[in-house]
Amino acid sequence: MTPAWRRYAPALIFLLPALVGLAVFRLVPILWSFVLSFYDWQIFDQPSFTGLDNYIHILTSPVSGQVLRNTAVFALIYVPGSIALSLVLASVLNNTLRSSTFFRSALFLPYITSTVAVTLAWKWIFSTRFGLLNNALAALGIDAAPAWLADPTYALPAVAIVSIWKDVGFYMILLLAGLQTIDPTYYEAARIDGARVVRRFFRITVPLLSRSLFFVLIIAMVRSTQTFEITYALTEGGPNRSSTTLAYFIYENAFIHFQMGYAAALAYILCFLLGLLTLVNFYFRRRWVHE
Amino acid sequence: MNRRVSGPGALLALYGFLVAYAALSLMPFAWMLITSFKEQAALFQLPPSFRPSLLFTDTPMANYSVIWNERNFVTFFRNSAFVSFMAAIGQVFTCALAGYAFARLPLPGKNIIFAIILATAFVPTEVTIIPEFLLMRGFGWLDTFLPLIVPSFLVGAFGTFMLREYFASLPHDYAEAARMDGAREFRIFWRIYLPLAQPALISVFVIAFINNWDELLRPLLYLTSPDLYTVPLGLLSFVSQYEAAWGQLMAGSVISTLPLIIIYVLTQRYVLAGFSGGGVKG
Repeated sequence: MTPAWRRYAPALIFLLPALVGLAVFRLVPILWSFVLSFYDWQIFDQPSFTGLDNYIHILTSPVSGQVLRNTAVFALIYVPGSIALSLVLASVLNNTLRSSTFFRSALFLPYITSTVAVTLAWKWIFSTRFGLLNNALAALGIDAAPAWLADPTYALPAVAIVSIWKDVGFYMILLLAGLQTIDPTYYEAARIDGARVVRRFFRITVPLLSRSLFFVLIIAMVRSTQTFEITYALTEGGPNRSSTTLAYFIYENAFIHFQMGYAAALAYILCFLLGLLTLVNFYFRRRWVHE
Repeated sequence: MNRRVSGPGALLALYGFLVAYAALSLMPFAWMLITSFKEQAALFQLPPSFRPSLLFTDTPMANYSVIWNERNFVTFFRNSAFVSFMAAIGQVFTCALAGYAFARLPLPGKNIIFAIILATAFVPTEVTIIPEFLLMRGFGWLDTFLPLIVPSFLVGAFGTFMLREYFASLPHDYAEAARMDGAREFRIFWRIYLPLAQPALISVFVIAFINNWDELLRPLLYLTSPDLYTVPLGLLSFVSQYEAAWGQLMAGSVISTLPLIIIYVLTQRYVLAGFSGGGVKG
């Protein structure tokens, strides 16, 4: 035994389980998926190499076009919606009941409870005739309320509403941690100068919070492309695929139709889109994030 | 005290908004609870009633007992508890060892390995799940709990990151003193540093437990025998079989939500520290 081996042996032994996990469940699958994406493989048949066919098919077929459009629409509702709401809630909480465990927990609860269970509660709330939502709308005098989950126009927004409701508390906790590092004297100074609430919010809170906001933006974008549980429990991608987003479409192709190669190519397109979004984010970072 | 809002009117508006949103945030839970105490006929009343009618009968827990005993939720519950516990314990074990090695033990290139672990955590599940399924099929693990436990046991970038930070923040001199005593690395880790890292270990455990309890995709892919179903899968199979039995379904939802609420209330400090800990400040 060489001395170097003796010196490094403890670290290697300590890292062994993590390294096995990294190799078997991360590195191998990442490469394997990439290779698979160039094959036409229905799981019960022999795989055949088809080059870029899967990718070409995805980028030209109307179905995957619709799925990509749904994914974009979902992200355009979810990302701004959840960030704006969590930002407002975090600053209201920071201004009023900063130390209130009750309000913090009430807002955070949806994030940590069972997704399927709360989604089923929402499904019941969205129910066209007997649901709480449409009956509440009727009580407010809105009789032409939509059929929500049964209506191709409203199914996707319904999935987005549940997703925002569920995640807002998480983003709020992250932003609250950022808000609490802002020095209150900035606000005092602004108030002496006569700046009003809205102005203080945009001129002090937002710039000084920009690093937390950037972090939240990245997480929200990543999550917006990966919604699966809520879609599965709420709409199963329907009606007529109107609420099928990319992550759900991958599941459907891989594990309902067992088109492993095609699904792997879809997964790599998802990965590529995420990478692109992240790069764009980092490119614009210096324009608005204060160090 | 720094009240940053001028005037009682503005303050009142802020409180109002906060109370209204908190109510909206809790509303689905309340409706779930009320519905779980309604008999079938009361579900389809118009306008909907907020009265948990079963509570006023001599079988207040009727929906719960049907779902728990006849629909086998007792089994789903036990399965979920077992799988989540094993997966979370495993994750704590692996992440603690790895976090300690990254923070404390000498190894050339360890920062590169750490960077690879973090980077691969950003690869979406969709990319890895297909080969993972093929691997599990190859291992002959389909329709067992192993695919739900082993990946979580061995992979935990978030936990590794958190525990690495935590071990790095603990003082070094304990280890130096122990090393002079001739204590072996594992003993130093086990007897000195692991107990000191307790708060971080609890965070990692609780978050892993919650995530595994909540997991839908893996049970959906790997489990086919109803006796092995976890709670989320059991709930969904119930929806497809008993479409309109919302009272029982909501009772099942309460049952699957309750353990997480209890765990959250008991360990709130650790959970919040864990969720906001990895984030940036300011």
